[in-house]
Amino acid sequence: MKIKTIIASTAGLAIAAAGITAIASSHREAPMIAEDQSVDNTDVYSFLSPTNPDRLVIVANYIPLLLPQSGPNFYRFADDARYEIHIDNDGDAVADWTYRWTFLNEVKNGNTFLYNTGPVDSIYSQNLNVNQWYKLEKINERSGQKTRIFNKAPVAPWNVGKRSFPNYDAVASQAVQSAGGTMSFAGPRDEPFFVDLHVFDLLGVGGSHTTDGVNVMSLVLEVPITEVAKDGRRPTIATDKTSVLGINASASRPQVRVLRKFRDADDYGQFIQVSRLGWPLVNEVIIPLKDKDTYNRSMPRHDVSNFGAYILDPEVPKLLNLVLNAGCAPTPAGGRTDIVGLLSPNDTAAADLLRINIAAGQTNAQSHFPNGRALTDDVTDTLLTVACNNGGAIGDGVDANDKPFGNTFPYLASPHSGNP
Amino acid sequence: MTTTRMLLSFLLVTTACSSEERRVPPPSPSAPPALAAATQTDLGREIDDADRRGTWIEVKRRWQGQQLRWSVTRQSALCKTENACNVAPFPIMRPALHGWMPLMSFAPGEFAKLSAACGTAEQCDFTFEGKLEELNISGEQPTRMRFSDVRIVSTKIASL
Repeated sequence: MKIKTIIASTAGLAIAAAGITAIASSHREAPMIAEDQSVDNTDVYSFLSPTNPDRLVIVANYIPLLLPQSGPNFYRFADDARYEIHIDNDGDAVADWTYRWTFLNEVKNGNTFLYNTGPVDSIYSQNLNVNQWYKLEKINERSGQKTRIFNKAPVAPWNVGKRSFPNYDAVASQAVQSAGGTMSFAGPRDEPFFVDLHVFDLLGVGGSHTTDGVNVMSLVLEVPITEVAKDGRRPTIATDKTSVLGINASASRPQVRVLRKFRDADDYGQFIQVSRLGWPLVNEVIIPLKDKDTYNRSMPRHDVSNFGAYILDPEVPKLLNLVLNAGCAPTPAGGRTDIVGLLSPNDTAAADLLRINIAAGQTNAQSHFPNGRALTDDVTDTLLTVACNNGGAIGDGVDANDKPFGNTFPYLASPHSGNP
Repeated sequence: MTTTRMLLSFLLVTTACSSEERRVPPPSPSAPPALAAATQTDLGREIDDADRRGTWIEVKRRWQGQQLRWSVTRQSALCKTENACNVAPFPIMRPALHGWMPLMSFAPGEFAKLSAACGTAEQCDFTFEGKLEELNISGEQPTRMRFSDVRIVSTKIASL
């Protein structure tokens, strides 16, 4: 019996105890973003490729908890937003590289309500009535120089059902694009985050796999490590600051939207960041409600100046003790400097960035949270255990995804079908 | 009606309208303290008040650039170098009322003085004098501040 199940037996309500904070990584985590779901950044993963440790994989997921049968207007990325992955390669919590996706919608025939007008056997099929395409740029944040990697790459379509997509995986695989060593995928995937969401029914959790059977919109990127490492070289000293990349994803929208009476809306102004995520669950459970929206608009390099006190004395263990007598350790007099340490490996600046060691010799087997984040990592249990800090393990009773992950790009599982 | 009179009438009307529409902030619950003796608690209270009343500009105008004397706590993990030192302005043993931790820019030799006094202690209380060089306060971004020319007045290693 695992320690966490012992806790469950002892407390009687242990699964519920875990459930207090066992909420989806960053799904609908702040008031404003909950009302703008197409730019809601839900999770970030990063690991060294299982087939080539010289390559880095980054996954950024958006738009939470999508029902597969969500027609006739199936989910897609917003075409008026910017979706970005930022990479710090010298430990200062300031992005050195940014990958930016911008999307374009295309409707072949506006005189029908159908997403597809017949069976679809190719991503380029004439029967696929609604298409989405994207441009992918790599931006050097120091010089401002932009390099266009893809000008018009296809987004994988929604998995409408077996009548529309007799072989969905074959069609979706055409959305895997490659150029100059960079691989990219954009489109729906099975929601890889596993957790019990019944917490919101008066803590009525019990190990239910509530994120099974739903999808999410994924951006998956795989690049040679030398593409993003400092000075274009893979570091050789694992303890060096530059051996640790700091990764976060974000989404931004134009500052002003003007609704028109007789035509589509117009957007104006600079892009404003409306969502961001590095570690799972930070904005969800460390940042209090009053600061959640400002957190989404702020930059990781300011996290300690802006939110440091919340990290030093997190609310989670207090809640676990107060409501469920979970036996979490009190905050030490010096604050939770252990959490600060986890956020600043190799003496990097503490920030909400997913840090991953890319030094020569590092492999996929070592890419597990908090050193990167593998798709299989049970981060809810890990973070609850860290937060509770009483020497035992604590969990939500949900330990694995409903679908197995792949060993090849894009690694995430195929999305659930709307009509299996 | 001459063009000038028309213009004046227009201005009068628009001024009257905008006066009516302008949000009148409710009275402040308490008179602001003299800044010479104002602490971080006073600033926190004013920021909370500004969040309710939308008076961030007034608070910034009042506080930014002021010479202050505050007592704070240095957590060694968050104050490692002269250029990367954030301090806790409030006791951390409670659910934090404010997330902000001021960034310090020290006068020459002062960080070394602090380091020597605090040694390897995980936390160390100290009183400093410094100029509140930057106060970022608005309804859009989180509160953030930086002190410059920080000079150590006294230190006390906190008992753990």
